[in-house]
Amino acid sequence: MSSGRAHADRRALAAGERRFAILLVAPALLVLLATTTVPIAFLIWNSFQTINLAMPFLDGFAGLANYRQMSGDPAFWHSLQLTAIYTGSTVVMQLVIGLGLALLVLQIPRGQWLFRIFAILPIVLAPVVVGLFWRTLMFAPNFGMIDFATRALGLGTVNWLGSPTPALVSVIVIHTWQWTPFAFLVLLASLASLPEDLYEAARLDRASAWRRFIHITLPLLRPAIVIVIIMRAMTALSAFAAIYAATGGGPGTATEILNLYAYRISFTQLDFGYGSALAVALLVLTLAVSGFLFRIRTAGSGP
Amino acid sequence: MTTRAITQGEVILEGIVKNYGTFRALKGIDLRIAPGEFFALLGPSGSGKSTTLRVIAGLEVPDAGRMLVDGTEMTFAPPGERNVAMVFQNYALYPHMTLEQNIGFPLKMDGVPKAEIAARVQDAARKVRIDHLLARRPGQLSGGQQQRTALARAIVREPRLFLLDEPLSNLDAQLRLETRIELKRLHASLGVTTIYVTHDQEEAMTIADRMAVFRDGEIMQIGAPAEVFGRPDTLDVAAFIGSPPMNLIPARIEGGEAHFPGWRLALPGAPAGDVVVGVRPGRIRLADDGLPGKLLLSENLGEAMLLNVDVDGTLVKLRLPDVSPIAEGTAVRLAFDGSDILLFDPETRRRLDWPEMESRP
Amino acid sequence: MSSTRRRPATLRRVILTVAAALILFIWAFPVLWAVVVSLKSESEVLAYPPSVIFEPTLRNFRDALTGNLSIASSLMTSIILATATTVLTIILAVPAAYAFARLRLPARQGLGFYTLVTQMIPPVGLVIPYYLILNRVGLLDTYTGMITVYLTFSLPFAIWLMVSYLEDIPREMEEAAYLDKASRLQALWHVILPQIRGGIGVTTVFVFLNAWNEFLFAVQLGGNRIRPVTVAMHNFVSIEQTLWAKLAAAALVAMLPVIVIGILAQRQIVKGLTVGAVKGGGRR
Ligand SMILES: Nc1ncnc2c1ncn2[C@@H]1O[C@H](COP(=O)(O)OP(=O)(O)O)[C@@H](O)[C@H]1O
Ligand SMILES: [Mg+2]
Repeated sequence: MSSGRAHADRRALAAGERRFAILLVAPALLVLLATTTVPIAFLIWNSFQTINLAMPFLDGFAGLANYRQMSGDPAFWHSLQLTAIYTGSTVVMQLVIGLGLALLVLQIPRGQWLFRIFAILPIVLAPVVVGLFWRTLMFAPNFGMIDFATRALGLGTVNWLGSPTPALVSVIVIHTWQWTPFAFLVLLASLASLPEDLYEAARLDRASAWRRFIHITLPLLRPAIVIVIIMRAMTALSAFAAIYAATGGGPGTATEILNLYAYRISFTQLDFGYGSALAVALLVLTLAVSGFLFRIRTAGSGP
Repeated sequence: MTTRAITQGEVILEGIVKNYGTFRALKGIDLRIAPGEFFALLGPSGSGKSTTLRVIAGLEVPDAGRMLVDGTEMTFAPPGERNVAMVFQNYALYPHMTLEQNIGFPLKMDGVPKAEIAARVQDAARKVRIDHLLARRPGQLSGGQQQRTALARAIVREPRLFLLDEPLSNLDAQLRLETRIELKRLHASLGVTTIYVTHDQEEAMTIADRMAVFRDGEIMQIGAPAEVFGRPDTLDVAAFIGSPPMNLIPARIEGGEAHFPGWRLALPGAPAGDVVVGVRPGRIRLADDGLPGKLLLSENLGEAMLLNVDVDGTLVKLRLPDVSPIAEGTAVRLAFDGSDILLFDPETRRRLDWPEMESRP
Repeated sequence: MSSTRRRPATLRRVILTVAAALILFIWAFPVLWAVVVSLKSESEVLAYPPSVIFEPTLRNFRDALTGNLSIASSLMTSIILATATTVLTIILAVPAAYAFARLRLPARQGLGFYTLVTQMIPPVGLVIPYYLILNRVGLLDTYTGMITVYLTFSLPFAIWLMVSYLEDIPREMEEAAYLDKASRLQALWHVILPQIRGGIGVTTVFVFLNAWNEFLFAVQLGGNRIRPVTVAMHNFVSIEQTLWAKLAAAALVAMLPVIVIGILAQRQIVKGLTVGAVKGGGRR
C-alpha cells in the first residue's frame, strides 16, 4: 500500500543524511579509535602483565599483582599526595589570581590589549622551555634572579630546586606562572560579556562593590569558572615537561607527581607492567575528577 | 512576461502531520493552492505556519500525509529537486559571497553556463532594483537591500513555487508597506505561485488572493481575505481577524429576537438558544436605545475614535468616525443592526447560519 | 564627580597602574631576561651580581643556528612535525565536527562523549603503550610514528573547537543552499567552509602550538632522527650544563615561532581559549 511505500521513502531520505554524516565522522573516529582507544586497551592489558625490559625472562600474566603492589607502595601514595597538592594549589591559585587580575584590568580604561598580549607569552611557551628558563634564569644559585633577589634582601641563598619543600613550592610557582594567564583571559572575556544593565540596576540599589561581586558577578561567572577549573585541573593532573625540566621529579621524589612516577617506573626502571598500572590509576583519577566537575557544572546551570 | 499562461505551481497538501518529539506541530493540514495563486498562511506565532512552509520546501519530512506539486507526489523529494525558491525570515544570504555570487549561486549549482548566469543575475537584480550593488557583500547592505537580494536569489532561477517566510518582518514600518506593494507587483509580473507566511493579518488581507488561518497546528479556515474577514467560520477566527477583532457578546435567542441584558434586537428566523453575537467595532454606534454600558476608555486614533465600553462584564470596542471626546465613566447605549452581526454556537464554537442571514448581501 | 572624590580617584589610578605594570613585568620577565642573557658573552654571564650594562654580542645566536651546538636540524624537524600534524588534524576534524554539529548522526551524543573522553587521556597513559607498540613495529623515531601519536591530543581538541564554531552558523544557510540545488557536499564546500575560515584559523594556531611545544612523546618516542626543538633544548642543558647564554639564545630561537604566532594571532588564541568557556563549554 502507499503508506508502506511512504514509510520506505522516509527511511531512505533519513538514511541518506545518516550515510553522509557517517562518511564525514568515520575517518576522524577511526583514527581516534586506533590512536587512543587501542593503546589505552593495550595499556590496561599490560597493567595485568609483568613486563620488565630489564628482566624479560620474568614476563607473563600477572593478574592483579601490579595493583596489589601499588596499594602497598609508599612511593605511589606519596606521588598521589603530591598530585593532589600540586593540582589543588595550582588550580586555586590560578583561579584566584586570574580572577583578581581580570577584575583589576577591567578597571583600567585603556590598554587592555597590552595585558592580553603579555598574557599570551607564558601560554605559548613550551612547558619544557618554561621549566628550563625558571631552573636557570630564575632559580639557579649564583645566577638566577630569584637567588639574586633573596640575597639582596639579606635572606641568603636558598637552594630552591635542591631541597624538598622549596622545590615543590618552586614547581607550583612555575606552573601557576605559566597558566594563570589562561584563567585571566577566559575570565576577562566572560566579565566583559556580562550585561552592563545588571550592574546599573545594582548600583541604583546602592549595593556595595563587594556585594555586587558576590551576588551578581560570581553567580554569572559560575559557568566560566567551572570550565576554567576543569581545564586547569586536566592540565595540572598530567603536567610533565616543566617539572621534568626543572627538577626531574626531585630532589629524591619531592616533586614526583603520579604522572612522573609512572613515567620513571616505565622508562627508567623499565618496569612497564607496574608503570602501566600506575598510568591506569592516573587515567581513572583524571576521568573521576572531570566527571565530578562536569556534574557540578550541569547541576547548577540547568539543562 | 506578463502574459505567460499559468499552468504550473499547483500545490496540494493532504493530512500533513509533523511531530517534534512528542510535540505535534502540525495536526493534519489539508490545503489546495491553485497555480499562480498568491496564498497566505496567517496565524499567531507558533501555530505551525513555518513548519508547513518547510514541509512544502522539503526541509522537513512529514510524519504522515502527502504533498503533490502539479499532480506529482513530492512528499519525500529532497529540497533541490522540487524547483522551489524560498526567502527566509533572516534572508540567509551567504555572507562570504558578493550579491552577484549570492544571486548566481542557484544557477551555478544548476550547471548554467557562466555567461548566462551573469545575464540572468543582472536581469533579476534589475527587477528588484539592486543592480547597482552587485559587487557588495550582504554585510554592507541595509535590511531592505538584503531582503531584495534574497528575493532576487529566489526569482533568478524561475522556480515554479515561491515560499516566503515572514519576509517583511525585519523591515521598518515604512519599508514594509512599500515592499508589500512591490511583492504584489512582482507576483503579478512573474505569475509564479507564491506562498507567504505572516502573522500580520493586515499584510495577509492586502496581499493575498486567498489565505489559510492557522492555530495550534491546524487550519481554522481557508478563503479569500474578504470572505474570512466577513464570515469567520469559528469563534477563534472571529477573535483573531480584524484589529481590533470582532466583539463577541453572549446573548440568548428567543422568538426571533436576540436578548441582551437590557436590550433586544430583532433577528427573524434565528434559531433559538444561547449564542455568541459577533459584531465588528465599526458597525456599532451610540444610540438612545441600545445595549447599556459604561465607557471605560476612549482612544483617539486621529481620524477615528475607539471606545472601550463595559457591557455587563464584557468589553466591547467600537469605532466612531467622530472624534469629539466623551468623558470616561459616562453611561452609554450601543446599537447595531441585525444585518451586521454573526451568530456563533458557544458549545461547538462554530458559526450559526440561518436562512434569512444567508440571503443578505 | 564632586571635588572631594577626585583625590582618592587619582590615588586609585596610581595604584592600579603600578599593579598593572608589575603584572606585565612578571609575565614578561623570564623571556625578557632570557633576551638579555642571550646577548652576553659567556664570561659576562657569570658576573655576579648580574650585569645589565655590557657589550651585546650576537655570537650566541650564530652558535644556535650553526656549528656543533646548532639546533637548526631540530627546527626543521619541529616544522615538519607540527605542520604535518596540523594539516592532517584539520582535514580529519572539520568534516567530523560538521557531522557532530549539524547532521542527524546516529549515536551522536555517545560519540561526542567519546571524543571528549579521549581528550582527557593523560599523555603518560599513551606514551607507555606507544613505546611498546612503535618499538615492535619499528616506528620509533619516525615521522609516521610521531604524527600518529600527535593526533591523539590534537584531533579531539580540534573537533571540539570546530563544533562550537559550526554551531554559530545559522541552519538556514545550508537549507538555502539545499533549495538552491546544492548537494550536501556542495553546501558544505561552498557555503559552510568559507564561513568557518576564522574557526579553522584558530584551530590551526592551537594545534600547531601544541604540536610545536610537545615534549613527553618527543623525548620518549623520538630519537636521533626525530628530535624536535623541545627535546633539543632539554638535551642542551643536560650536556652543556653551564652555557647559560647559549642556552638562552637557543631557547629563544626555538620559541621564536610560537612567540611570533602568539603575538600575531593573539586575538585568535584568546578566542580559542574562551570560545567554550564563555558559551558555557560547548553543548555536548
Ligand atoms: N525544530 C523544532 N523542534 C521542536 N519544536 C519545533 C521545531 N520547529 C518548530 N517547533 C515548534 O512547532 C511549533 C510551530 O512552529 P512554527 O511552524 O515555527 O510556528 P510559526 O511559524 O507559526 O510561528 C512551535 O510550537 C514551535 O515551537
Ligand atoms: Mg515562523
